Amino acid sequence: MNNIPMKTRSLKLLEFLSLEKSADRLLALEVPKDALSWTRFCGALLLVLVVLLFLSGIFMAFYYSPIPGTAYDSVDFALFNVPFGSVVKGVHHYSWNLLLMVMGVHLGRSLILGSYKAPRQMVWVTGVIILLFVPLFIITGDLLPWDQKGYWSTQVRLSIISSVPGMGHIAARLLQGGSLTGVVALTRFYVLHILMLPGLLVLLIAVHFHFIRHRGLSEPLGADPVSRPRIPFYPNVVNRWLFLFIMVSIILGVISWHWIPPFGDPADPTDSSYIPKPEWWVLFLNQLVSVFKGGLAVLGSTIIPAGLAGLLICLPFIDRSPHRHPARRWKILLPAAAIVIAILTLSIMGYMEHFVLVEN
Amino acid sequence: MSRRKFLKTAILTGCTALVTGIPLATYVILPSLKQEPGNWIDFGSVEDLEPDNFNMLSYEFMVKDGWITLPQRGFVWAKAEAKQQIKIFSSTCSHLACNVIWQKETREFVCPCHSGRFDAQGQPIAGPPSRPLTVLEHKVADGNLMVFMKV
Repeated sequence: MNNIPMKTRSLKLLEFLSLEKSADRLLALEVPKDALSWTRFCGALLLVLVVLLFLSGIFMAFYYSPIPGTAYDSVDFALFNVPFGSVVKGVHHYSWNLLLMVMGVHLGRSLILGSYKAPRQMVWVTGVIILLFVPLFIITGDLLPWDQKGYWSTQVRLSIISSVPGMGHIAARLLQGGSLTGVVALTRFYVLHILMLPGLLVLLIAVHFHFIRHRGLSEPLGADPVSRPRIPFYPNVVNRWLFLFIMVSIILGVISWHWIPPFGDPADPTDSSYIPKPEWWVLFLNQLVSVFKGGLAVLGSTIIPAGLAGLLICLPFIDRSPHRHPARRWKILLPAAAIVIAILTLSIMGYMEHFVLVEN
Repeated sequence: MSRRKFLKTAILTGCTALVTGIPLATYVILPSLKQEPGNWIDFGSVEDLEPDNFNMLSYEFMVKDGWITLPQRGFVWAKAEAKQQIKIFSSTCSHLACNVIWQKETREFVCPCHSGRFDAQGQPIAGPPSRPLTVLEHKVADGNLMVFMKV
């Protein structure tokens, strides 16, 4: 066996599929060597988590029936009676929690190192849009198991949406498909969660990658851009990503095997004793809502969160100086740190109120 | 690209959006905006109400939820001050739709979600709520308490 016939055979296949030019482009693609440094693997990890969420979600859909009551039984069956049930649901559960955390780190790194600056403004903008888009998955996904937590959290979220001035009430009705949280609402949440939102997310990620591809990765601070060493994308980056995928899958699988993902009692709309506790990522928003009372309620529920989101999106157009070093950007980093501290303080206040003081 | 070519494609794109968009939007949006009529619910004899205290009255009635008919369950708070003086409050907190609970000892309604509190007249006295509890329309027919419930 020599190599020459093999090569021509694979070339012939590529030509048959009209992929020979794409293959050449892929093999010629080079990225800066620092793309593989340990300080910037958040993006790769996020892609791993998104792929895991898609896969585990598709698997769970095989055993899911979106009807109130039956939905709970179907999730219960998938979790306890199907082989790898707790692993599949667990990977989904732990992946989205981890996704939110890693997104925070990803954003924080970009903020501190100023990698949102020209010419990469749109990489930042699309990234922030993805960050703001992800909670829609949680809002729609939480109701699907039809357990107490999902049902009552949904009731609270729907009334928060309704309280937004202007379109809030109509938005809540559209989401529910009426005035009830029943079979119509569950079907809508299901279709949004497994079809429309994932489709949009793939589109958003593609746009994010489009800008990274054309505007490149930011240079390490203090590095000489001319002598930046480059490595081939294939196989170096591809193999590293596959290795990361295998490691993360195994770790999350083992975690899910040991700590079965939370699954409460069946939803009971009459059960007044059930108190929905806000999730960790939403504690600060929840606390904002309860800090502002009376006529100022709009401030906490709408104006401040919308203002923060707006500021975050517009950051590359607010901070336009060419400097990237944190020491030369204290005018941006100090207010940002103040906002982060405020968010952490509100989160701790919320944690105390909902998790510590309640116990006593 | 000439102005003429651009306009032609733009008009065709617009028509494509209208032809598919109008039926799809109507299909998804209109049914969700339909208002359901309310029901008069019978809560049993007025005599059974414990006087000078709020009673938790549970209800269950059938509502049409899209293509299935389901029992809608919940409860209201009712107080009979005198024979003809009955006050009915919805259990839904005016803040974020959790169920408020009557505390006999402190004579307050407490919302467990964000620690909102209301006095016996349903007025907010502490916490985030700014609006009073909803007073539900009621009547007494043949000695039975009837409350008008909207879905």
